[in-house]
Amino acid sequence: MSGSTGLDPAHDTRTGAPGEVLVEVSGLEVHFPIKRGVVFDRTVGHVRAVDGVDLTIRRGETYGLVGESGCGKSTLGKAILNLEPPTAGSVLFDGVDIASLKGEALRRERKRFQMVFQDPMSSLDPRQTVEALLLEGMRAHGLDTDASATHTRLRELMSAVGLPPSGLKKYPHEFSGGQRQRIGIARALSVGPDLIVADEPVSALDVSIQAQVINLLQDLQEELGLTYLVVAHDLAVVRHISDRIGVMYLGGLVEESEAGELYDVPLHPYTRALMSAVPVPDPEVEDSREQILLTGDLPSPANPPTGCRFHTRCPWRQETLCDTERPQLRVVDVAGSSPGHRVACHWAEEIARGEIERHEVAPETTDESSWGAPRDDGSPFLAPDGPPVP
Amino acid sequence: MSTPMSTHAVHPVHSSEPLLSVRDLRVTFGRRGEQPFKAVDGISFDVRPGQTVGLVGESGCGKSVTSLAIMGLLPTRGNTVEGSAVFDGEDLLRLSPGQMRDRRGREIAMIFQDPLSSLNPVVQIGRQVTEVMERHQGLSRKEAMPKAAELLERVGIPDPKARLVNYPHQLSGGMRQRALIAMALACKPRLLIADEPTTALDVTIQAQILALLKELVVETGTALVMITHDLGVVAGLCDEVNVLYGGRIVERGDRHTLFSRPRHPYTVGLLNSIPRLDAPRGEALSPIPGSVADNLPWDSACAFAPRCPNALDVCVQQTPEWEGDDVVGLRCFNPMGVSR
Ligand SMILES: Nc1ncnc2c1ncn2[C@@H]1O[C@H](COP(=O)(O)OP(=O)(O)OP(=O)(O)O)[C@@H](O)[C@H]1O
Ligand SMILES: Nc1ncnc2c1ncn2[C@@H]1O[C@H](COP(=O)(O)OP(=O)(O)OP(=O)(O)O)[C@@H](O)[C@H]1O
Ligand code: SF4
Ligand code: SF4
Ligand SMILES: [Mg+2]
Ligand SMILES: [Mg+2]
Repeated sequence: MSGSTGLDPAHDTRTGAPGEVLVEVSGLEVHFPIKRGVVFDRTVGHVRAVDGVDLTIRRGETYGLVGESGCGKSTLGKAILNLEPPTAGSVLFDGVDIASLKGEALRRERKRFQMVFQDPMSSLDPRQTVEALLLEGMRAHGLDTDASATHTRLRELMSAVGLPPSGLKKYPHEFSGGQRQRIGIARALSVGPDLIVADEPVSALDVSIQAQVINLLQDLQEELGLTYLVVAHDLAVVRHISDRIGVMYLGGLVEESEAGELYDVPLHPYTRALMSAVPVPDPEVEDSREQILLTGDLPSPANPPTGCRFHTRCPWRQETLCDTERPQLRVVDVAGSSPGHRVACHWAEEIARGEIERHEVAPETTDESSWGAPRDDGSPFLAPDGPPVP
Repeated sequence: MSTPMSTHAVHPVHSSEPLLSVRDLRVTFGRRGEQPFKAVDGISFDVRPGQTVGLVGESGCGKSVTSLAIMGLLPTRGNTVEGSAVFDGEDLLRLSPGQMRDRRGREIAMIFQDPLSSLNPVVQIGRQVTEVMERHQGLSRKEAMPKAAELLERVGIPDPKARLVNYPHQLSGGMRQRALIAMALACKPRLLIADEPTTALDVTIQAQILALLKELVVETGTALVMITHDLGVVAGLCDEVNVLYGGRIVERGDRHTLFSRPRHPYTVGLLNSIPRLDAPRGEALSPIPGSVADNLPWDSACAFAPRCPNALDVCVQQTPEWEGDDVVGLRCFNPMGVSR
């Protein structure tokens, strides 16, 4: 694939070398107010969607974020792109705090990071041709100055994502799901970004098509030196494309490690349960491996448990510390774990050495009013009682 | 449910008679002024008591239409259903809507991807479970209530007594799916059809639901038809696997054989295109080229031919016929690992 797209990897804004820190997130919090009342909106609490996250993403790498629905993956991704204002903390992009920029400076920075969404259909305006969709972003960033250069660029973009140039005159509905996702990727690429945040880029696609898009993302990264933040709930997909992975639980990172090591040496009890729950398409493996079944659901992010947020479901929970002190992400000294591997568990060493036994957990009732992680369905909060109003 | 356990599919060899026998099922949607569309194009399979049979394939291959046709739940107009689906000696496709309604919920139950669509939004969970017991076990509501709480507890719903008075929207997706399974348990169906029951759920919740389904099959001898696009789910749960493509079954086998020695190029393609959590990293995936939009009509070709790496001339001239029986089989002119 390399050399075939004609897109220029040495984009003018791309200055740093691979391996340097591109994004630095510190103490990031994003809280959403919960409003109640018909006439007067009263704020009755906050959803702590992202609640104290520190992470760095290096130039040229793929950072994967995994975790249950509602744990804050998308919100974190949006906050990194400055699409969601942080309640606290900061995001530095190449050392610059984006939130502090305004006007032309902000616009210039903006084109350096782009987003690819889960549902290619809903993120593409159905009334615009593919050409118009691609031009939109380029115009907004003043990249459409020379007609013949633009003409060439559009064709290069199409070829980069494996679509014929004739597709430029078509509308999104004339394409299959996988092809629409390619258009979404082409649109993100059109402004020559450094960082692409891909939120569930393949989860709406058929299995046979997923691989096409995954391979495309990888080829483009290699060729253009892109940096990716991939948000997805499919652990096998994330492990496949990521260099490093962060595991989120209720708004916080509970573990971070190099992608292979996370599966080989999971240190956090939640990561262990997550790994053991992913079905493997191999009956021998399925029959022989041990599953750690968690009980109950994710507690409400509006009212997270005290101490370690996982303590209500943790099969290794201990009498002390777990429900009183929130564990910090830290490097632990455990066989097989490298220095970049961080975990937020008070008892990670003891668990890894087998000094603490796994035990049963009774399902626990959590916050009543907003039970279960409200999904992105537009109605995150439910009336506490009574049937829904038709 | 709360016991951490390793869950195996532990089904015996199935020597018993089929409980459900689907033969040459065809469902055609007649769009006015258009060519009729064959969503299901001649599907046959058997399910025995205590057996879990998987139907697996990509979006649009006819999995849901197959199950809806068997359950008599297709829209009354705009389609024709042919073939037979013999359940316990009786062809379900010939029953009147009233007779079918009577079978549903008692002998045959179905759970869907979206549990909300099968729960009544304005009736409390407890009522919905007890209603099933009142109807099918002749219990009074008073007798049924404590049993309902017991059932909710069995399926891993915390604080079940409090949940009885909740409405469906007050439960999370995983809870709702568990409530539906509780209702299925309440009527002790002989056949359960589960259409993507865990697709909308997180993996940790999926693992709980799958463990529950396995328990149900082992303990009650229920026959389970599991519909999914997830080969991993199939590998852990199903005794027999049917791979669907374009409305037909293209390969069938017991799960061990199918996963270790897949023969159909489409099955192989699917297995090669999914990343595995336990595989060495760094190997590129091999996608299946094209998309289902490229399919040819089965009438005069192999529908998969435009995407198939093994395609021969004959594949675009003739229909590959089913070779096999109700246990193993294949529909392919040039399968993997044979004349290559
Ligand atoms: N604009 C908003 N207003 C209020 N609450 C929100 C808003 N956006 C997200 N939330 C809530 O914040 C929490 C985290 O949501 P987020 O979408 O980041 O989760 P996620 O990990 O991406 O989940 P999923 O896998 O379902 O996409 C959820 O409880 C969600 O309901
Ligand atoms: N009521 C209907 N009228 C017309 N066509 C229909 C109808 N229901 C389903 N179809 C078509 O029949 C085909 C098979 O649909 P079906 O719902 O069985 O797919 P599926 O295998 O369950 O896919 P998925 O994985 O997306 O659920 C599809 O092409 C679909 O568009
Ligand atoms: S800190 Fe305690 S509750 Fe939290 S993950 Fe570790 S052992 Fe479990
Ligand atoms: S019949 Fe031919 S085209 Fe169809 S799967 Fe077999 S080899 Fe491929
Ligand atoms: Mg999300
Ligand atoms: Mg379906």
